[in-house]
Amino acid sequence: MKDRVIGQSVPKYDAGPKASGLLQYADDFTLPGMLYGKVFRAKVQAAILLGVRTERAEQLPGVHAVITAKDVPNNNLRARFGQSTDVGGQFEGLYRVLAEKEVRYYGEPIALVAAESPDLAEQACQLIEVDLQPLPGVFDSVGAMEPGSRQVGEKPNNIASHFKIRQGDVDQGFAQADVIVEGTYRVPYQDHAYLEPESGLAWSDDDGTINIRVSSQVIEHFREVAEILNLPHSKVRYLGTWIGGGFGRKEDITVESYLALLAWKTRKPVKLTYTRAESLLYHCKRHPFQMEYKTGATKDGKLVALQARLISDCGAYSALSPWVLLYATVNAAGPYQIPNVKVDSYAVMTNTAITSAFRGFGAPQANFAYESQIQKLAHILGLDPLEFRERNYLQTGEAFATGWIYERPIPLTELAQKAWSGLGPLGSAEGGRKLGRGVAIGMGSYGRLTFLHDTSRSYIKLELDGSAIIRCGVPDVGGGQGHILCQIVAQELGVPLERIKLHITDSQLTPLAGTTTATRQLMMSGNATLKAANELKKRLLIKAGQLLNVPIENLIITLNRIEVESSRKEGVSLVEVINRLSGEGEELFVEAQFNAPFTDIPASEVLQGQTHPDFTFGAYAAEVEVDEQTGQVQINKIVAAFDVGKALNPAIVEGQIEGGCIQGVGYALFEDMAIHNGVIQTPSFAEYLIPTAVDVPDITVILLESGSGVGPYGAKGIGEPPMVGIAPALVNAIEDAVGVRIADLPVTPEKIRMAIAQKPEGKR
Amino acid sequence: MKDFQLFSPTELEEALDLLTRHCGQMRILAGGTDLLIRMRDGQVQPETVLDLTRISALHFLRQDSNAIEIGPLITHTEVLCSPLLNQETPLLVQACRTIGGWQIRNRGTIGGNLCNASPAGDAVPPLYVLAAECTLASRRGRRVLPIQAFFHGPGQTVLAPDELLVGIQFPSPQPTPLQFFEKIGQRKALAISKVNMAFLGWTDQEGRFQKVRIALGAVAPTVVRAVRTEDYLVGKRPTADVIQAASDMIETEVQPIGDIRSTEQYRREVSGELLRLGLAKCQKEEHG
Repeated sequence: MKDRVIGQSVPKYDAGPKASGLLQYADDFTLPGMLYGKVFRAKVQAAILLGVRTERAEQLPGVHAVITAKDVPNNNLRARFGQSTDVGGQFEGLYRVLAEKEVRYYGEPIALVAAESPDLAEQACQLIEVDLQPLPGVFDSVGAMEPGSRQVGEKPNNIASHFKIRQGDVDQGFAQADVIVEGTYRVPYQDHAYLEPESGLAWSDDDGTINIRVSSQVIEHFREVAEILNLPHSKVRYLGTWIGGGFGRKEDITVESYLALLAWKTRKPVKLTYTRAESLLYHCKRHPFQMEYKTGATKDGKLVALQARLISDCGAYSALSPWVLLYATVNAAGPYQIPNVKVDSYAVMTNTAITSAFRGFGAPQANFAYESQIQKLAHILGLDPLEFRERNYLQTGEAFATGWIYERPIPLTELAQKAWSGLGPLGSAEGGRKLGRGVAIGMGSYGRLTFLHDTSRSYIKLELDGSAIIRCGVPDVGGGQGHILCQIVAQELGVPLERIKLHITDSQLTPLAGTTTATRQLMMSGNATLKAANELKKRLLIKAGQLLNVPIENLIITLNRIEVESSRKEGVSLVEVINRLSGEGEELFVEAQFNAPFTDIPASEVLQGQTHPDFTFGAYAAEVEVDEQTGQVQINKIVAAFDVGKALNPAIVEGQIEGGCIQGVGYALFEDMAIHNGVIQTPSFAEYLIPTAVDVPDITVILLESGSGVGPYGAKGIGEPPMVGIAPALVNAIEDAVGVRIADLPVTPEKIRMAIAQKPEGKR
Repeated sequence: MKDFQLFSPTELEEALDLLTRHCGQMRILAGGTDLLIRMRDGQVQPETVLDLTRISALHFLRQDSNAIEIGPLITHTEVLCSPLLNQETPLLVQACRTIGGWQIRNRGTIGGNLCNASPAGDAVPPLYVLAAECTLASRRGRRVLPIQAFFHGPGQTVLAPDELLVGIQFPSPQPTPLQFFEKIGQRKALAISKVNMAFLGWTDQEGRFQKVRIALGAVAPTVVRAVRTEDYLVGKRPTADVIQAASDMIETEVQPIGDIRSTEQYRREVSGELLRLGLAKCQKEEHG
């Protein structure tokens, strides 16, 4: 069947129910007799927790449970990274369910309440008393590493993690350089700002099994929750829901450990949905980074050395910080051929909000720094920024800074040129504003770290009427993670899309497909589903070949039929083949497992060799108008060009790129999370401003299909990579317009105006 | 949200009775776009709420001889859709267009915007330059105040606990002046002003300003008039040099603070730029 479904922009089957409001999100589920959970939190950044008094809350009529650390069977967990591989060492941290003996950050959960109404739960929280002995807070990640700093958590010198890249000899490299630029870049916190705040509903079966229906990107957290409760893994079950936006925040446990504890304690169904304020104030953010860069090039425009020191603020618990730091380190030099590279990176603990996974996972931070450096070098060398990049892009067969020799295409020259020329003729600026254009490139990995030995499984069953059932434990965050599996089955088995039923996210009944994180589901579950489909297809073709008396090589599967390719009238219906197979006792179901490329666990903090299955490459070009007096920026045009390998559903791919681009626009220009001494000052979307529809221009998306991806049909992952490249492209465009270069995101009008005023030639 | 008692009278007199009876204990609900948020997150926990929305006597928009009268319950959307206000006071329409999103504009009222007394309230500066007056009523009687006398400071008005804002009126600007409302927010929609400005200016045959009124929001505890700049502009044509000088002068007339939305310095420096931006737009409209 030649590309009948694959490659087509067929609507996602969940799109209609979402648009009409029929689709049930986590908070839409209720159960009779349900209680309401509430989290009681610390209102101090750092303190010794001397005691928690809950008696008054417990005595309030209608309150069914108040839980503190002492009630949690296993309150302190060794935090691991989802799946099974034990990687040990610096990747681990402490996952503490409820504050115990100490408070490390403002908003840290201290107690849980379950009551008969949300108001009662709230009242009960107000009756909880804590004895605290305040401690001086540690709020500056750079200072926190200094000797003598108070230790925030379990890590000496507050360093949760440290990675290195050592390639060549940077001293020699800088000695060869004709031009060296240095820069310090700061990138901010960012909130995931999804439509659906954290939400779930848990209940206990008559045999004590805890069921949790929760909006989560990782249903495999049933293992951690079971450990918290000291239950066998088999006695905790996750039932995922369609997710109203994840962006990485629903990769860590959100409400489910609290729900599980409350349902376990009360033996009643318990619901817990965060308010927007709880979501904004207390959930994990993107890591702010301070990045010191030094980059050298020769006067003929060849990069010779790069040295970088990256410091991320990981907050009061390490969560996924070591992993984010690893990604940032791998990305630190970008997709450039640089013979001498030295990178040192640190994740540092402070008494601030926890930072963890967010779309891009460390790559957008590093990308802003390395692309800013490239732009500065091009200016000093007097080279066209695109041409300078072209002289230095990594080429197929060359090694990344980690030493991993990359054998797939790296079409950055084409992508950047397409993005740049896609801007079209120069517009004219309104009202004396200055016009500027910029371009930047980037790379983003897809698939989890290869030393994690990632796997996914998928199950397909054909029904006697020629319809099909897919079971695959894939959480769908809205990116078509579920739908695309249906497209694969429709493509391979000739079953019409509307006759395929997909079951996702039941940790006990759908084969475990791994996390919807790391831009991995298309590659992992797509391949697992394709593998299962191919096995069934083989059975169908063999039987059809027997029925038609032709070799199977001559057969093709079309809609509901198997036909002889050279004589399409000759054929047999899918239903007949299925019924024959069934009658002969053949299995009409297959469960297949796909294993990602595996590598060994790094032996030390020096990153060496392959770390990821693959990268997706892309480029952004942007045109802006800047008002020199007010510093306001209007984005006129954005063009995105990405090599997606193969666009299995172009509309979904374009949607992912547009979404990532807009989230990047927010990161670059708008989202300014005010934090004062570890306390977030933006409790609503009236203070934490993300771009609206009128702030973002139409985005032109150019798709390149090299067919070189690790995913099914040669597809690459596209969920996270579009976060990369847009921030430096916008900053380059602003510099082109008004001659100032901002090194601290977000680039607010205040910063632009001040930079213009401080220019040597000055304003006015 | 805590339980509370809600009163929804249909007559103004009844509302004033209730206010007198619950003197100082009542929260007043007009559009609810601020009150309900504050009640929901517990900042405000009133025992009683007076719902004005059913009082038709507070919901009017009319022109009597030369005066335009706006009832406090007129919503921002009703301002946008009013042929009268589009004709007579486009700056008020421009200001209301920048408030919140559609849902907020459908619920939020002019009276609410005033009584909230946010220094950044977008409907307020236009009413300053239109020389609006506020009519306040209580069982004790009525009083009429010029708008600048209505505000005490951020979130504070002169309304007595038993008093209601029952009307806003201003003379229809004659002859048609040059006018604009400009605002700088962190984004193009759904943003509270970092700085905003309303401008009203009458010119003579030669294009010289005869009378000018400029009001700025979010740069002082209440909306302020830039009186020195107004005086400076009188008798001058809006040439580039004049606008520049006026812009610089405005920067000396404001006393902004730094907060979560912007810095003191930025607010001060761009407050003058709003004049340039607004006049440029006016001139463009004239010529284009």
